[in-house]
Amino acid sequence: MAFKRVPQKFNASINKVVVGTGDKTITLGGENVLPFYTFDAPIENKPKVGIMISDTGLDKTLPGIAAFYGDAESLVDVAKKAVTAEGADFLAIQLASANPDEQDASPEDCAAACKAVADAVDMPIAVIGCGNRDKDAKVFDKVAEALSGKNVMILSAREENYKNVVASAGLAYGQKIGAESAVDINLAKQLNTVITQMGFSGENVVMNVGTAAAGYGYEYVASTLDRITAAALGQNDTQLQMPIVTPVATETWNVKECIATEEEAPDWGSREQRVIDMEVITATADLAAGSNAVIVKHPASVAVLSKLVNELI
Amino acid sequence: MAKFVTIGERLSTTAPAVNKAFSARDPEPILKRAKEQLDAGAVYLDVNIGPAETDGPELMQWVVKLLQGEFNNVPLALDTSNMKAIEAGIAVYNRDKGKPIVNSADASGRIEYINLAAANDAICIALCNGEGIAADNDERMGYLQVMLERGLELGMEPEDLWFDPLFLVIKGMQDKQLDVLNFIKDISDQGLNSTGGLSNNSNGMPKHVRPIMDSAMVAMAMMQGLTSAIVNPCDLRLMETIKSCDIIKNETLFADSYLEM
Repeated sequence: MAFKRVPQKFNASINKVVVGTGDKTITLGGENVLPFYTFDAPIENKPKVGIMISDTGLDKTLPGIAAFYGDAESLVDVAKKAVTAEGADFLAIQLASANPDEQDASPEDCAAACKAVADAVDMPIAVIGCGNRDKDAKVFDKVAEALSGKNVMILSAREENYKNVVASAGLAYGQKIGAESAVDINLAKQLNTVITQMGFSGENVVMNVGTAAAGYGYEYVASTLDRITAAALGQNDTQLQMPIVTPVATETWNVKECIATEEEAPDWGSREQRVIDMEVITATADLAAGSNAVIVKHPASVAVLSKLVNELI
Repeated sequence: MAKFVTIGERLSTTAPAVNKAFSARDPEPILKRAKEQLDAGAVYLDVNIGPAETDGPELMQWVVKLLQGEFNNVPLALDTSNMKAIEAGIAVYNRDKGKPIVNSADASGRIEYINLAAANDAICIALCNGEGIAADNDERMGYLQVMLERGLELGMEPEDLWFDPLFLVIKGMQDKQLDVLNFIKDISDQGLNSTGGLSNNSNGMPKHVRPIMDSAMVAMAMMQGLTSAIVNPCDLRLMETIKSCDIIKNETLFADSYLEM
Protein backbone atom coordinates (compact mmCIF):
# COMPACT_ATOMS: atom_id res chain seq x y z
CA MET A 1 0.00 0.00 0.00
CA ALA A 2 1.31 3.41 -0.92
CA PHE A 3 2.38 5.70 1.89
CA LYS A 4 -0.13 8.43 2.45
CA ARG A 5 1.27 11.45 4.18
CA VAL A 6 -1.17 13.13 6.53
CA PRO A 7 -0.12 16.67 7.43
CA GLN A 8 -0.05 17.19 11.18
CA LYS A 9 -1.79 20.52 11.22
CA PHE A 10 -3.45 21.55 14.44
CA ASN A 11 -6.77 23.33 14.91
CA ALA A 12 -4.97 25.67 17.25
CA SER A 13 -2.17 28.11 16.79
CA ILE A 14 0.39 30.13 18.67
CA ASN A 15 -0.66 33.75 19.21
CA LYS A 16 0.85 36.37 16.95
CA VAL A 17 2.65 39.05 18.90
CA VAL A 18 4.02 42.13 17.15
CA VAL A 19 6.99 43.96 18.68
CA GLY A 20 8.32 47.36 17.62
CA THR A 21 6.76 50.11 15.56
CA GLY A 22 6.76 51.43 12.02
CA ASP A 23 8.46 49.47 9.24
CA LYS A 24 10.76 47.55 11.55
CA THR A 25 8.30 45.44 13.50
CA ILE A 26 8.74 41.75 14.05
CA THR A 27 5.93 39.25 14.47
CA LEU A 28 6.43 36.27 16.73
CA GLY A 29 4.28 33.13 16.54
CA GLY A 30 1.19 32.42 14.47
CA GLU A 31 2.13 28.86 13.51
CA ASN A 32 -0.19 25.86 13.79
CA VAL A 33 2.48 23.19 13.34
CA LEU A 34 5.41 21.86 15.33
CA PRO A 35 8.70 23.78 15.17
CA PHE A 36 10.15 23.88 11.63
CA TYR A 37 7.45 21.48 10.36
CA THR A 38 6.89 23.52 7.21
CA PHE A 39 5.97 20.32 5.38
CA ASP A 40 2.76 20.20 7.44
CA ALA A 41 1.76 23.84 6.93
CA PRO A 42 3.60 27.04 6.11
CA ILE A 43 5.25 28.88 8.99
CA GLU A 44 4.53 32.49 8.22
CA ASN A 45 6.71 34.05 10.89
CA LYS A 46 10.16 32.55 11.16
CA PRO A 47 11.75 32.33 14.60
CA LYS A 48 13.63 35.53 15.37
CA VAL A 49 17.14 36.13 16.66
CA GLY A 50 17.86 38.93 19.09
CA ILE A 51 21.27 40.39 19.85
CA MET A 52 21.86 41.27 23.47
CA ILE A 53 23.95 44.13 24.81
CA SER A 54 24.54 44.94 28.44
CA ASP A 55 24.68 48.35 30.06
CA THR A 56 27.72 47.20 32.03
CA GLY A 57 29.84 47.04 28.91
CA LEU A 58 31.43 44.60 26.50
CA ASP A 59 33.88 41.76 27.05
CA LYS A 60 36.55 43.09 24.73
CA THR A 61 39.01 40.41 25.81
CA LEU A 62 37.27 38.38 23.12
CA PRO A 63 38.87 39.36 19.81
CA GLY A 64 35.67 38.92 17.78
CA ILE A 65 33.72 41.20 20.13
CA ALA A 66 36.52 43.77 20.14
CA ALA A 67 36.69 43.73 16.34
CA PHE A 68 32.95 43.95 15.82
CA TYR A 69 32.26 46.74 18.25
CA GLY A 70 35.51 48.64 17.58
CA ASP A 71 35.75 51.79 19.61
CA ALA A 72 32.09 51.83 20.65
CA GLU A 73 31.92 52.34 24.42
CA SER A 74 28.68 54.05 25.35
CA LEU A 75 25.49 52.00 25.43
CA VAL A 76 24.10 54.01 22.52
CA ASP A 77 27.19 53.46 20.37
CA VAL A 78 27.24 49.77 21.24
CA ALA A 79 23.57 49.52 20.33
CA LYS A 80 24.14 51.23 16.99
CA LYS A 81 26.78 48.62 16.17
CA ALA A 82 24.71 45.70 17.50
CA VAL A 83 21.79 46.41 15.20
CA THR A 84 24.14 46.07 12.22
CA ALA A 85 24.96 42.46 13.15
CA GLU A 86 24.16 40.14 10.27
CA GLY A 87 20.88 38.35 10.93
CA ALA A 88 19.78 40.31 13.98
CA ASP A 89 16.00 40.78 14.12
CA PHE A 90 15.77 42.71 17.38
CA LEU A 91 17.91 44.31 20.05
CA ALA A 92 17.88 43.17 23.68
CA ILE A 93 19.17 45.58 26.31
CA GLN A 94 20.23 43.93 29.54
CA LEU A 95 20.10 46.36 32.45
CA ALA A 96 22.73 44.59 34.54
CA SER A 97 23.75 47.89 36.11
CA ALA A 98 20.52 47.92 38.13
CA ASN A 99 21.66 45.00 40.25
CA PRO A 100 21.48 46.23 43.86
CA ASP A 101 24.46 44.07 44.82
CA GLU A 102 26.66 45.76 42.25
CA GLN A 103 26.23 49.15 40.62
CA ASP A 104 22.66 49.61 41.85
CA ALA A 105 21.81 52.06 39.05
CA SER A 106 18.57 53.94 39.61
CA PRO A 107 15.41 53.14 37.64
CA GLU A 108 15.53 56.68 36.28
CA ASP A 109 19.07 56.20 34.95
CA CYS A 110 18.11 52.88 33.39
CA ALA A 111 15.10 54.49 31.76
CA ALA A 112 17.20 57.34 30.38
CA ALA A 113 19.73 54.87 28.96
CA CYS A 114 17.00 52.83 27.28
CA LYS A 115 15.37 55.96 25.91
CA ALA A 116 18.66 57.09 24.39
CA VAL A 117 19.09 53.71 22.71
CA ALA A 118 15.51 53.62 21.47
CA ASP A 119 15.96 57.07 19.95
CA ALA A 120 19.16 55.98 18.21
CA VAL A 121 18.04 52.71 16.64
CA ASP A 122 14.86 51.70 14.84
CA MET A 123 15.04 47.96 15.52
CA PRO A 124 12.43 46.38 17.84
CA ILE A 125 13.65 46.27 21.43
CA ALA A 126 13.50 43.86 24.34
CA VAL A 127 14.51 44.99 27.81
CA ILE A 128 16.01 42.42 30.15
CA GLY A 129 16.19 43.14 33.87
CA CYS A 130 19.03 42.57 36.31
CA GLY A 131 17.43 39.51 37.86
CA ASN A 132 16.52 41.07 41.21
CA ARG A 133 12.71 40.83 41.21
CA ASP A 134 11.95 43.86 43.36
CA LYS A 135 14.42 46.07 41.58
CA ASP A 136 13.32 44.86 38.15
CA ALA A 137 9.72 45.83 38.91
CA LYS A 138 10.85 49.37 39.75
CA VAL A 139 13.16 49.57 36.75
CA PHE A 140 10.56 48.24 34.31
CA ASP A 141 8.05 50.81 35.54
CA LYS A 142 10.36 53.68 34.56
CA VAL A 143 11.68 52.04 31.41
CA ALA A 144 8.21 51.19 30.14
CA GLU A 145 7.15 54.78 30.70
CA ALA A 146 10.23 56.17 28.94
CA LEU A 147 9.72 53.82 25.98
CA SER A 148 6.00 54.48 25.81
CA GLY A 149 4.75 53.97 22.26
CA LYS A 150 7.82 51.92 21.25
CA ASN A 151 6.00 48.60 21.78
CA VAL A 152 8.94 46.81 23.41
CA MET A 153 9.16 43.44 25.16
CA ILE A 154 9.69 43.69 28.91
CA LEU A 155 11.58 40.59 30.05
CA SER A 156 10.22 39.71 32.35
CA ALA A 157 7.41 39.34 34.86
CA ARG A 158 7.79 36.54 37.36
CA GLU A 159 5.62 34.99 40.03
CA GLU A 160 7.10 37.38 42.60
CA ASN A 161 6.58 40.63 40.71
CA TYR A 162 4.07 40.09 37.92
CA LYS A 163 1.40 42.26 39.55
CA ASN A 164 3.58 45.36 39.49
CA VAL A 165 5.16 44.65 36.13
CA VAL A 166 1.89 43.91 34.34
CA ALA A 167 0.02 46.80 35.96
CA SER A 168 2.70 49.26 34.98
CA ALA A 169 4.57 48.16 31.85
CA GLY A 170 1.62 46.21 30.45
CA LEU A 171 -1.62 47.93 31.40
CA ALA A 172 -0.39 51.49 31.92
CA TYR A 173 2.23 51.76 29.16
CA GLY A 174 1.06 49.16 26.64
CA GLN A 175 4.30 47.23 26.29
CA LYS A 176 4.54 43.50 25.60
CA ILE A 177 5.17 41.42 28.70
CA GLY A 178 7.35 38.36 28.99
CA ALA A 179 6.05 35.87 31.56
CA GLU A 180 9.01 34.05 33.04
CA SER A 181 9.04 30.70 34.78
CA ALA A 182 12.01 28.47 35.43
CA VAL A 183 11.43 25.23 33.55
CA ASP A 184 8.09 24.56 35.26
CA ILE A 185 5.16 23.88 32.92
CA ASN A 186 2.52 24.27 35.58
CA LEU A 187 3.90 27.61 36.70
CA ALA A 188 4.19 28.77 33.09
CA LYS A 189 0.47 28.17 32.65
CA GLN A 190 -0.40 29.61 36.03
CA LEU A 191 1.53 32.81 35.38
CA ASN A 192 -0.20 33.37 32.05
CA THR A 193 -3.51 32.74 33.76
CA VAL A 194 -3.04 35.24 36.56
CA ILE A 195 -1.60 37.81 34.15
CA THR A 196 -4.64 37.56 31.90
CA GLN A 197 -6.92 37.59 34.95
CA MET A 198 -5.56 41.09 35.62
CA GLY A 199 -7.28 42.18 32.42
CA PHE A 200 -4.12 42.13 30.32
CA SER A 201 -4.72 40.40 27.00
CA GLY A 202 -2.88 37.14 26.42
CA GLU A 203 -2.28 38.47 22.90
CA ASN A 204 0.31 40.82 24.40
CA VAL A 205 2.17 38.20 26.38
CA VAL A 206 5.25 36.21 25.42
CA MET A 207 6.74 33.46 27.56
CA ASN A 208 10.20 32.83 28.78
CA VAL A 209 9.80 29.33 30.13
CA GLY A 210 13.45 29.09 31.01
CA THR A 211 16.44 27.43 29.51
CA ALA A 212 19.64 25.83 30.70
CA ALA A 213 22.96 25.86 28.90
CA ALA A 214 23.46 22.70 26.86
CA GLY A 215 24.79 20.02 29.18
CA TYR A 216 23.33 21.62 32.30
CA GLY A 217 20.09 19.69 32.69
CA TYR A 218 18.95 20.61 29.22
CA GLU A 219 16.81 17.46 28.87
CA TYR A 220 14.33 18.97 31.28
CA VAL A 221 14.18 22.16 29.24
CA ALA A 222 13.49 20.18 26.08
CA SER A 223 10.69 18.18 27.67
CA THR A 224 9.18 21.38 29.10
CA LEU A 225 9.18 23.08 25.71
CA ASP A 226 7.76 19.94 24.09
CA ARG A 227 5.00 19.66 26.65
CA ILE A 228 4.05 23.31 26.29
CA THR A 229 3.92 23.06 22.51
CA ALA A 230 1.84 19.90 22.80
CA ALA A 231 -0.63 21.59 25.15
CA ALA A 232 -0.80 24.79 23.08
CA LEU A 233 -1.40 23.05 19.77
CA GLY A 234 -2.66 19.56 20.61
CA GLN A 235 -4.96 20.52 23.49
CA ASN A 236 -5.74 24.04 22.28
CA ASP A 237 -4.70 25.37 25.67
CA THR A 238 -5.17 29.11 25.31
CA GLN A 239 -3.12 29.77 28.43
CA LEU A 240 -0.05 28.33 26.73
CA GLN A 241 -0.39 29.75 23.22
CA MET A 242 1.91 32.68 23.85
CA PRO A 243 5.06 32.75 21.71
CA ILE A 244 8.20 31.66 23.52
CA VAL A 245 11.17 34.03 23.79
CA THR A 246 14.30 32.47 25.24
CA PRO A 247 17.18 34.60 26.48
CA VAL A 248 20.04 32.21 25.88
CA ALA A 249 23.04 34.43 26.60
CA THR A 250 22.03 35.10 30.19
CA GLU A 251 22.48 31.37 30.84
CA THR A 252 25.30 30.26 28.63
CA TRP A 253 27.85 32.96 29.42
CA ASN A 254 27.85 31.93 33.07
CA VAL A 255 28.87 28.29 32.70
CA LYS A 256 32.43 27.21 33.26
CA GLU A 257 33.02 26.38 29.61
CA CYS A 258 32.44 30.04 28.81
CA ILE A 259 34.13 31.57 31.84
CA ALA A 260 37.38 29.62 31.98
CA THR A 261 40.27 31.44 30.33
CA GLU A 262 42.57 29.75 27.88
CA GLU A 263 45.27 29.75 30.57
CA GLU A 264 42.95 27.99 33.03
CA ALA A 265 41.73 25.44 30.50
CA PRO A 266 44.37 25.12 27.81
CA ASP A 267 42.82 21.89 26.45
CA TRP A 268 39.53 23.61 25.70
CA GLY A 269 40.84 25.90 23.03
CA SER A 270 39.67 29.38 22.18
CA ARG A 271 37.36 30.85 24.82
CA GLU A 272 35.56 32.89 22.21
CA GLN A 273 34.81 29.79 20.16
CA ARG A 274 33.45 28.10 23.30
CA VAL A 275 31.20 31.07 24.00
CA ILE A 276 29.82 31.00 20.46
CA ASP A 277 29.43 27.23 20.42
CA MET A 278 27.56 27.23 23.70
CA GLU A 279 25.20 29.96 22.50
CA VAL A 280 24.57 28.34 19.14
CA ILE A 281 24.08 24.83 20.48
CA THR A 282 21.73 25.91 23.25
CA ALA A 283 19.76 28.31 21.04
CA THR A 284 19.42 25.71 18.29
CA ALA A 285 17.96 23.24 20.74
CA ASP A 286 15.57 25.91 22.06
CA LEU A 287 14.42 26.71 18.52
CA ALA A 288 13.99 23.05 17.64
CA ALA A 289 11.80 22.59 20.72
CA GLY A 290 9.53 25.54 20.07
CA SER A 291 11.12 28.90 20.88
CA ASN A 292 9.81 31.65 18.65
CA ALA A 293 12.79 33.86 19.44
CA VAL A 294 16.22 33.40 21.00
CA ILE A 295 18.51 36.05 22.40
CA VAL A 296 22.29 35.69 22.12
CA LYS A 297 25.19 38.04 22.62
CA HIS A 298 27.95 37.21 20.19
CA PRO A 299 27.47 38.61 16.65
CA ALA A 300 28.86 35.36 15.23
CA SER A 301 26.16 33.40 17.07
CA VAL A 302 23.50 35.72 15.66
CA ALA A 303 24.75 35.14 12.12
CA VAL A 304 24.84 31.35 12.47
CA LEU A 305 21.40 31.10 14.06
CA SER A 306 19.84 33.42 11.52
CA LYS A 307 21.32 31.37 8.69
CA LEU A 308 20.06 28.17 10.29
CA VAL A 309 16.51 29.51 10.50
CA ASN A 310 16.59 30.84 6.95
CA GLU A 311 17.91 27.57 5.55
CA LEU A 312 15.21 25.54 7.30
CA ILE A 313 12.19 27.77 6.68
CA MET B 1 -8.55 11.87 23.50
CA ALA B 2 -9.47 15.39 24.46
CA LYS B 3 -10.89 17.54 27.20
CA PHE B 4 -14.35 16.60 28.39
CA VAL B 5 -17.11 18.39 26.49
CA THR B 6 -19.91 19.77 28.62
CA ILE B 7 -23.27 20.50 27.01
CA GLY B 8 -25.34 22.92 29.08
CA GLU B 9 -28.89 21.69 29.53
CA ARG B 10 -30.59 24.78 30.94
CA LEU B 11 -32.20 26.12 27.77
CA SER B 12 -35.11 23.77 27.70
CA THR B 13 -38.85 24.12 27.33
CA THR B 14 -39.14 21.94 30.43
CA ALA B 15 -38.26 25.10 32.36
CA PRO B 16 -41.40 27.27 32.35
CA ALA B 17 -39.44 30.52 32.15
CA VAL B 18 -37.57 29.30 29.06
CA ASN B 19 -40.70 27.92 27.48
CA LYS B 20 -42.40 31.26 27.92
CA ALA B 21 -39.42 33.15 26.49
CA PHE B 22 -39.29 30.87 23.44
CA SER B 23 -43.02 31.36 22.79
CA ALA B 24 -42.83 35.11 23.23
CA ARG B 25 -39.49 35.43 21.37
CA ASP B 26 -38.24 37.25 24.42
CA PRO B 27 -34.42 37.28 24.21
CA GLU B 28 -33.63 38.49 27.70
CA PRO B 29 -34.31 35.35 29.81
CA ILE B 30 -32.69 33.14 27.15
CA LEU B 31 -29.52 35.20 26.97
CA LYS B 32 -29.34 35.35 30.74
CA ARG B 33 -29.49 31.57 31.08
CA ALA B 34 -27.04 31.10 28.25
CA LYS B 35 -24.57 33.50 29.80
CA GLU B 36 -24.81 31.83 33.20
CA GLN B 37 -23.98 28.50 31.62
CA LEU B 38 -21.09 29.82 29.53
CA ASP B 39 -19.64 31.72 32.48
CA ALA B 40 -19.80 28.47 34.42
CA GLY B 41 -17.74 26.72 31.75
CA ALA B 42 -20.21 25.05 29.38
CA VAL B 43 -18.67 24.25 25.98
CA TYR B 44 -21.86 23.57 24.02
CA LEU B 45 -25.36 24.79 24.84
CA ASP B 46 -28.31 22.51 24.28
CA VAL B 47 -31.33 24.26 22.77
CA ASN B 48 -34.42 22.21 23.55
CA ILE B 49 -37.42 23.84 21.96
CA GLY B 50 -39.74 20.90 22.67
CA PRO B 51 -41.95 19.45 19.92
CA ALA B 52 -42.51 22.93 18.42
CA GLU B 53 -44.92 21.53 15.90
CA THR B 54 -46.26 24.75 14.51
CA ASP B 55 -43.35 27.18 14.44
CA GLY B 56 -40.30 24.91 14.94
CA PRO B 57 -38.11 25.99 11.99
CA GLU B 58 -38.70 29.67 12.54
CA LEU B 59 -38.19 29.38 16.33
CA MET B 60 -34.98 27.37 16.01
CA GLN B 61 -33.50 29.84 13.54
CA TRP B 62 -34.38 32.68 15.84
CA VAL B 63 -32.68 31.02 18.84
CA VAL B 64 -29.59 29.94 16.90
CA LYS B 65 -29.05 33.44 15.53
CA LEU B 66 -29.76 35.00 18.90
CA LEU B 67 -27.28 32.84 20.81
CA GLN B 68 -24.51 32.74 18.23
CA GLY B 69 -24.81 36.46 17.59
CA GLU B 70 -24.55 37.32 21.25
CA PHE B 71 -21.92 34.75 22.31
CA ASN B 72 -19.29 34.63 19.57
CA ASN B 73 -20.73 31.71 17.61
CA VAL B 74 -21.11 29.46 20.63
CA PRO B 75 -21.54 25.85 19.45
CA LEU B 76 -25.03 24.45 19.94
CA ALA B 77 -26.89 21.16 20.27
CA LEU B 78 -30.26 21.39 18.52
CA ASP B 79 -32.77 19.42 20.48
CA THR B 80 -36.33 18.87 19.27
CA SER B 81 -38.54 16.15 17.88
CA ASN B 82 -39.25 18.43 14.92
CA MET B 83 -36.61 17.45 12.33
CA LYS B 84 -37.44 20.35 10.07
CA ALA B 85 -36.62 22.69 12.93
CA ILE B 86 -33.18 21.12 13.35
CA GLU B 87 -32.50 21.41 9.64
CA ALA B 88 -33.61 25.03 9.65
CA GLY B 89 -31.39 25.73 12.65
CA ILE B 90 -28.34 24.22 10.95
CA ALA B 91 -29.02 26.33 7.86
CA VAL B 92 -28.25 29.49 9.83
CA TYR B 93 -25.63 27.93 12.12
CA ASN B 94 -22.03 29.23 12.16
CA ARG B 95 -19.46 26.44 12.57
CA ASP B 96 -16.47 28.51 13.67
CA LYS B 97 -16.51 27.12 17.20
CA GLY B 98 -17.67 23.58 16.40
CA LYS B 99 -20.12 21.54 14.35
CA PRO B 100 -23.79 21.60 15.36
CA ILE B 101 -25.02 18.62 17.35
CA VAL B 102 -28.27 16.89 16.42
CA ASN B 103 -29.99 15.77 19.63
CA SER B 104 -30.87 12.96 19.20
CA ALA B 105 -31.19 9.70 17.29
CA ASP B 106 -31.97 6.25 18.60
CA ALA B 107 -31.90 2.83 16.95
CA SER B 108 -35.64 2.72 16.48
CA GLY B 109 -38.15 5.49 15.79
CA ARG B 110 -35.55 8.26 15.65
CA ILE B 111 -32.92 6.62 13.47
CA GLU B 112 -33.61 9.12 10.69
CA TYR B 113 -31.87 11.74 12.81
CA ILE B 114 -28.61 10.12 11.74
CA ASN B 115 -29.53 10.80 8.13
CA LEU B 116 -30.31 14.36 9.10
CA ALA B 117 -26.92 14.77 10.76
CA ALA B 118 -25.08 13.10 7.87
CA ALA B 119 -26.78 15.28 5.29
CA ASN B 120 -25.84 18.41 7.21
CA ASP B 121 -22.30 17.50 8.36
CA ALA B 122 -23.38 17.58 11.99
CA ILE B 123 -22.52 15.61 15.09
CA CYS B 124 -25.31 13.25 16.14
CA ILE B 125 -26.09 12.06 19.64
CA ALA B 126 -27.04 8.41 19.24
CA LEU B 127 -29.03 6.94 22.08
CA CYS B 128 -28.25 3.23 22.44
CA ASN B 129 -31.86 2.36 22.76
CA GLY B 130 -34.61 0.80 20.73
CA GLU B 131 -38.16 0.57 22.02
CA GLY B 132 -37.97 0.89 25.79
CA ILE B 133 -34.83 0.61 27.88
CA ALA B 134 -32.26 -1.98 26.75
CA ALA B 135 -32.23 -5.07 28.94
CA ASP B 136 -28.47 -5.48 28.96
CA ASN B 137 -25.24 -4.34 27.37
CA ASP B 138 -25.44 -6.82 24.52
CA GLU B 139 -28.65 -5.21 23.47
CA ARG B 140 -27.14 -1.74 23.85
CA MET B 141 -24.18 -2.78 21.72
CA GLY B 142 -26.56 -4.08 19.06
CA TYR B 143 -28.20 -0.68 18.86
CA LEU B 144 -24.82 1.02 18.77
CA GLN B 145 -23.73 -1.09 15.82
CA VAL B 146 -26.93 -0.40 13.90
CA MET B 147 -26.46 3.34 14.31
CA LEU B 148 -22.72 3.27 13.66
CA GLU B 149 -23.23 1.36 10.43
CA ARG B 150 -25.96 3.71 9.34
CA GLY B 151 -23.73 6.72 9.99
CA LEU B 152 -20.73 5.26 8.21
CA GLU B 153 -22.81 4.22 5.20
CA LEU B 154 -23.95 7.82 4.94
CA GLY B 155 -20.35 9.02 4.99
CA MET B 156 -20.14 10.26 8.58
CA GLU B 157 -16.88 10.20 10.49
CA PRO B 158 -17.18 7.79 13.42
CA GLU B 159 -16.14 10.53 15.85
CA ASP B 160 -19.23 12.52 14.87
CA LEU B 161 -21.53 9.92 16.42
CA TRP B 162 -21.68 10.52 20.16
CA PHE B 163 -23.17 7.41 21.71
CA ASP B 164 -25.44 7.85 24.67
CA PRO B 165 -25.52 4.83 27.01
CA LEU B 166 -28.62 6.30 28.68
CA PHE B 167 -27.96 7.13 32.30
CA LEU B 168 -30.56 5.41 34.47
CA VAL B 169 -32.17 6.67 37.62
CA ILE B 170 -30.53 5.23 40.72
CA LYS B 171 -33.74 5.37 42.71
CA GLY B 172 -35.39 2.36 41.13
CA MET B 173 -32.57 1.07 38.95
CA GLN B 174 -29.67 0.96 41.34
CA ASP B 175 -28.66 -2.52 40.19
CA LYS B 176 -28.20 -1.30 36.58
CA GLN B 177 -25.67 1.44 37.26
CA LEU B 178 -22.58 -0.70 36.74
CA ASP B 179 -24.00 -1.90 33.44
CA VAL B 180 -24.16 1.67 32.23
CA LEU B 181 -20.60 2.35 33.37
CA ASN B 182 -19.32 -0.81 31.75
CA PHE B 183 -21.05 0.11 28.53
CA ILE B 184 -19.27 3.45 28.51
CA LYS B 185 -16.04 1.46 28.63
CA ASP B 186 -17.25 -0.63 25.69
CA ILE B 187 -17.88 2.54 23.69
CA SER B 188 -14.51 3.96 24.65
CA ASP B 189 -12.69 0.72 23.80
CA GLN B 190 -13.92 1.12 20.23
CA GLY B 191 -12.42 4.59 20.12
CA LEU B 192 -15.86 6.18 19.91
CA ASN B 193 -17.23 9.27 21.61
CA SER B 194 -19.97 9.22 24.20
CA THR B 195 -22.33 11.58 25.97
CA GLY B 196 -25.57 11.48 27.89
CA GLY B 197 -27.95 13.16 30.26
CA LEU B 198 -25.87 12.64 33.35
CA SER B 199 -28.20 14.04 35.97
CA ASN B 200 -30.81 11.41 35.17
CA ASN B 201 -28.97 9.19 37.63
CA SER B 202 -29.93 11.39 40.57
CA ASN B 203 -33.50 12.07 39.57
CA GLY B 204 -35.84 12.20 42.54
CA MET B 205 -33.08 12.57 45.11
CA PRO B 206 -33.04 15.45 47.61
CA LYS B 207 -31.71 18.64 46.06
CA HIS B 208 -28.61 18.81 48.25
CA VAL B 209 -27.62 15.26 47.36
CA ARG B 210 -27.83 15.55 43.58
CA PRO B 211 -24.59 17.48 42.97
CA ILE B 212 -22.71 14.93 45.05
CA MET B 213 -24.20 11.96 43.25
CA ASP B 214 -23.75 13.61 39.84
CA SER B 215 -20.10 14.36 40.63
CA ALA B 216 -19.42 10.79 41.69
CA MET B 217 -21.14 9.50 38.58
CA VAL B 218 -19.23 11.78 36.22
CA ALA B 219 -15.90 10.88 37.81
CA MET B 220 -16.58 7.15 37.47
CA ALA B 221 -17.91 7.60 33.94
CA MET B 222 -14.88 9.66 32.89
CA MET B 223 -12.66 6.93 34.22
CA GLN B 224 -14.54 4.58 31.90
CA GLY B 225 -13.92 6.91 28.97
CA LEU B 226 -17.01 9.13 28.80
CA THR B 227 -16.07 12.04 26.51
CA SER B 228 -19.00 14.40 27.05
CA ALA B 229 -22.16 14.89 29.06
CA ILE B 230 -25.28 16.98 29.02
CA VAL B 231 -25.15 18.71 32.38
CA ASN B 232 -26.21 21.65 34.47
CA PRO B 233 -22.98 23.69 34.27
CA CYS B 234 -24.19 25.91 37.10
CA ASP B 235 -23.61 22.94 39.41
CA LEU B 236 -20.24 24.08 40.75
CA ARG B 237 -19.36 20.82 42.43
CA LEU B 238 -19.97 18.91 39.22
CA MET B 239 -17.92 21.32 37.10
CA GLU B 240 -15.05 21.24 39.59
CA THR B 241 -15.12 17.47 39.48
CA ILE B 242 -15.01 17.43 35.68
CA LYS B 243 -12.07 19.86 35.62
CA SER B 244 -10.24 17.80 38.21
CA CYS B 245 -10.83 14.59 36.28
CA ASP B 246 -9.50 16.25 33.10
CA ILE B 247 -6.33 17.05 35.03
CA ILE B 248 -5.97 13.53 36.39
CA LYS B 249 -6.53 12.11 32.91
CA ASN B 250 -3.83 14.46 31.57
CA GLU B 251 -6.23 16.04 29.12
CA THR B 252 -5.24 19.51 30.26
CA LEU B 253 -2.16 20.83 31.98
CA PHE B 254 -2.44 21.60 35.67
CA ALA B 255 -2.04 25.14 36.96
CA ASP B 256 -2.95 26.36 40.45
CA SER B 257 -5.91 28.31 39.01
CA TYR B 258 -7.26 25.40 36.99
CA LEU B 259 -10.71 25.66 38.56
CA GLU B 260 -11.03 29.23 37.31
CA MET B 261 -10.38 28.32 33.67
